[in-house]
Amino acid sequence: MRVYFRYALKETFSNLWRNRMMTIAAILCVAVSLALVGSALLLKQSAAQASVLWQQGTRVTVWMEPTASTTEINGVRTQLADLPIVKSCDYFTQTQDYNEAKKLLPPNEWAVLTVSAMPSSFRCIPTVPSDAFLVQNTFTGQPGIYQVTTPGSQIREMNKVIRILQIVFLALAAVLLLSASVLILNTIRMAIFSRRREVSVMKLVGATNWFIRIPYISEGFVQGLLGSLVAIVAVTALHTWYPLPNEFHLDTAALIGTNIVVLVVGIVIGSVGSAIAIRRFLDV
Amino acid sequence: MIRFENVSKTYKNGTPALIDISLDIEKGEFVFLVGASGSGKTTFLRLLLREEHPDKGRILEAGRDIGELPKWRVPYLRRNIGCVFQDFRLLPNKTVFENVAFALEVIGRPRATVESQVPQILELVGLSDKSKNLPHELSGGEQQRVAVARAFVNRPLILLADEPTGNLDPSNSESIMALLERINRTGTTVVMATHDKALVDRMRRRVVELDRGEMIRDQVRGVYGIDEGIAI
Repeated sequence: MRVYFRYALKETFSNLWRNRMMTIAAILCVAVSLALVGSALLLKQSAAQASVLWQQGTRVTVWMEPTASTTEINGVRTQLADLPIVKSCDYFTQTQDYNEAKKLLPPNEWAVLTVSAMPSSFRCIPTVPSDAFLVQNTFTGQPGIYQVTTPGSQIREMNKVIRILQIVFLALAAVLLLSASVLILNTIRMAIFSRRREVSVMKLVGATNWFIRIPYISEGFVQGLLGSLVAIVAVTALHTWYPLPNEFHLDTAALIGTNIVVLVVGIVIGSVGSAIAIRRFLDV
Repeated sequence: MIRFENVSKTYKNGTPALIDISLDIEKGEFVFLVGASGSGKTTFLRLLLREEHPDKGRILEAGRDIGELPKWRVPYLRRNIGCVFQDFRLLPNKTVFENVAFALEVIGRPRATVESQVPQILELVGLSDKSKNLPHELSGGEQQRVAVARAFVNRPLILLADEPTGNLDPSNSESIMALLERINRTGTTVVMATHDKALVDRMRRRVVELDRGEMIRDQVRGVYGIDEGIAI
């Protein structure tokens, strides 16, 4: 057994080395496609997590007219405080809103704003997220109120964009994964072809089929494994160096989970590619 | 040791390779298989290795019907059969020692066995001093001796040789023949397909002649041509 283990290991690595250019191509192809798969998975999880967080803390913003009188503002404040469907509210003065706009908007846009032209606002959290629209309906059109917004529409739009991105990522990844397994199949085929004399001698002297096959299977396995390891490094680097902000930020557990999926897919791709190559090209 | 019972084999293109062959080869026998190209000699040997299946009849080796062996047992059958070919089939990037050792390694023999068996067999074929050479550094006769060493290192019960002297000059052919005879004397059954008339005539061993797939002669002490020998 030990003898065979050493033999199989030696054969595997000498095959990989012999076809090193093809091997590198196959590994890179697996790596790129799996990095895409990993990123798409992370994106999906981020989007799901962000939607949940947003729903939990859906905020209704009641924007007052910049010209609204103190009476009107106080009237809205009392009304909000009395409404049972509103859990809590924070009042943002015109100055506070101006400063926030300064942070959010590009310089050429906020440059034209002035504090006096900014609306003040009430940022409220409804008791139940779905009541956000009820709050919106109650206050829209009241005197002194400019408009009432809920983030629902933005969430919907953002989710749509994320979904499209995901589909694009996954479609690209699927095509690349397919080409990766074809590349692996091809490298194994070349390895088999370059050793056909040895294979025929092995058959003659009575080597078992699995004895002949295992080095080739493990060659595909190693290519898939190395490819997925490169992809894991890429996905982890992306997660660490370019973390997604706020609600999108994922914890380490999600990253580990994604990396496990990437690893398994890589190994499966490599093994399946080589298994097909063996079935088609290794006549044992 | 080997028994063919009404064996027929036709290739997919309709060419009959063997037609209704029945014969017995005893343990320790030396049999020449003669006949023109395309007479079915190679098919005969391929059937023994179970590289081909007969369409009709059955083949027994050591009392076992090899047609009934499950596929995964075939390698174990082949471990009892050594093979030598006209084109030697050595691995060009391995030394003489490694070529012979390869036959033991791929059937999972431990290192110690390899280290002790290979020098012995190289001694037998007279190539002890060339064990570190690569095949291309050897003459044709020497390469064939390496091939014989590889076929015999596992001490098979049967040795099949498909025109082993086809690429060799007369003196090298003689030395290969002498080697096969020596192996035969250890009790190994040898079946040798050949075109070498001089060799067959000189050896006076059993001769089986095939002609377009049919067995037209089986003589105990035959020659390459017709008669002279005693028919069974």
